Amino acid sequence: MKKKNKLISFLAPVVSFLLIFSLWEIACTVNEVPTWFLPKPTEIFRSMVVDFPEFWPHILVTFEVVLMGFLIAIPVGLLLASLVTSFPLVNAALSPYITFLVTTPLISLIPLLMLMMGFGLNMRITTVVIQSFAVINMNACTGFNNVPTIRRELMQSMGADPIKTYLKMTLPSAASDIFTGVRLAAIFATTTCISVEYNAGNTGLGSQIIKYSQYLKTTQSFACIFYVTIIGLIMYGLISFAQKKIISWKE
Amino acid sequence: MQEPKIKFDHVTKVFQTRSQSILAVKDYSMEIAAGEFVSILGPSGCGKSTLIRMLDGIIDTTEGDIFIDGQKVNYAKKKMPQSILRKMGFIFQQPNMLPWFTVRENIALPLRVFDLKGPEWEKRVDELLELVGLTEYAKAYPAEISGGMLQRAGVIRAMVHDPEILLMDEPFGALDELTREQMNMELLDIWTRTKKTIIFITHNIEEAVLLSSRVYVMGTHPGRLVEIVDLDLPRPRTLSMITQPKFIQYREKLEGCIGEIDLSKIK
Ligand SMILES: Nc1ncnc2c1ncn2[C@@H]1O[C@H](COP(=O)(O)OP(=O)(O)O)[C@@H](O)[C@H]1O
Ligand SMILES: [Mg+2]
Repeated sequence: MKKKNKLISFLAPVVSFLLIFSLWEIACTVNEVPTWFLPKPTEIFRSMVVDFPEFWPHILVTFEVVLMGFLIAIPVGLLLASLVTSFPLVNAALSPYITFLVTTPLISLIPLLMLMMGFGLNMRITTVVIQSFAVINMNACTGFNNVPTIRRELMQSMGADPIKTYLKMTLPSAASDIFTGVRLAAIFATTTCISVEYNAGNTGLGSQIIKYSQYLKTTQSFACIFYVTIIGLIMYGLISFAQKKIISWKE
Repeated sequence: MQEPKIKFDHVTKVFQTRSQSILAVKDYSMEIAAGEFVSILGPSGCGKSTLIRMLDGIIDTTEGDIFIDGQKVNYAKKKMPQSILRKMGFIFQQPNMLPWFTVRENIALPLRVFDLKGPEWEKRVDELLELVGLTEYAKAYPAEISGGMLQRAGVIRAMVHDPEILLMDEPFGALDELTREQMNMELLDIWTRTKKTIIFITHNIEEAVLLSSRVYVMGTHPGRLVEIVDLDLPRPRTLSMITQPKFIQYREKLEGCIGEIDLSKIK
């Protein structure tokens, strides 16, 4: 019974995937939709393979920016959340700026950052970090603030120092909230990276999507979009893997 | 007279909340000798937990002083030093295990926090696991074992650093009747063997009479001491004593005390 369920849950997305792309393919063929308007999936997949050498450097650039920005955002967000929830003074001093960063649409910061840092990787990674650390920070703060009082009292009854309390009790207590933030941050990182590439420079998948659509090479444009999706999936997979490894307990 | 192990000297605690100040414990005094088993009995909200939280340095006192071995332990606004905290083990109402540690890691937690290293301490963990029958669950996670086992783990975690005093805040209140009786007998057994000083908080009259040598009865509004009842019952205590006339007499006396508290609340 269990085996059957597993098989079904594996097959269901595969079948629906095939179904959706077949319908798309059929719809395009039957209605003779022009390729520049909406290419057939088979054409897109073909381009993903055939034009791969052309895409590859851009895939690397995008993946590097997403990954680096994301990996920097995690410790920044965590550290900030730890400070803010431990010291009311830090909270009072910093929370207006964090709110500012969360509520400001990032697109409006890109020209400024370009002016200050140019088009290069540094500017892109900085933008990704600014946009994604805030969700980690916010979710981690929720986790830290929701640590059950009785666990604090346990550590207090032993006179545990702040570092032991943090590592043995506070951090694991907040772990699942932190992972919620990390998941959202991965999405923010990918979105931000692509929007920066739309606006700045001529490397990265975002810039290629713009370029190909300007030349009406919609098929290549779609191929790049699919590669962005794959980057998103890889990030998702990495996070799920890490979460399974790290949170091995049940509450 | 011998110096008391634990002494409360006119202790008062006021909780200051945003909207009001709550007088949780008013002018409370008691003296407990080394090796005694005493209970604190009272209806919920009368300040029992507040009392032993002050003793264990989790919250501070508003007025009055607390002494352990003649040494004043309540420093206003300052954390209680580990040298004093090491003398005590705290058993919570819930098992309060940390779910990311195995049963053994949970029990050994005080050793890590108090920096007690060496094979003799690790051996002690294993002996305690053996004592309460948890050896084969040492590597299990808290979510994988029963409520009774969890509370046993809570008891031995409080004992692992070899404290002289055990503070128990309604430790078996959440357990079913049968498990609770069994745990009570195990606790008496542990006490007989180790002669630790035990403060046992409960709102169960029978439990208080069965376990302790003296009962401090507390009343509410404000939380205060209303009666001290010495229990002259032979040891070792057994469950069959519950039906003996003397036991029933004590039980009725305590019921009377509690009843008066309830009546005074209505007025
Ligand atoms: N941290 C706190 N802040 C404000 N009031 C509290 C706090 N802890 C306890 N109290 C109040 O003090 C009183 C005594 O509580 P407690 O010691 O928990 O009683 P008991 O353990 O006997 O049930 C209650 O009225 C409770 O609401
Ligand atoms: Mg209580």
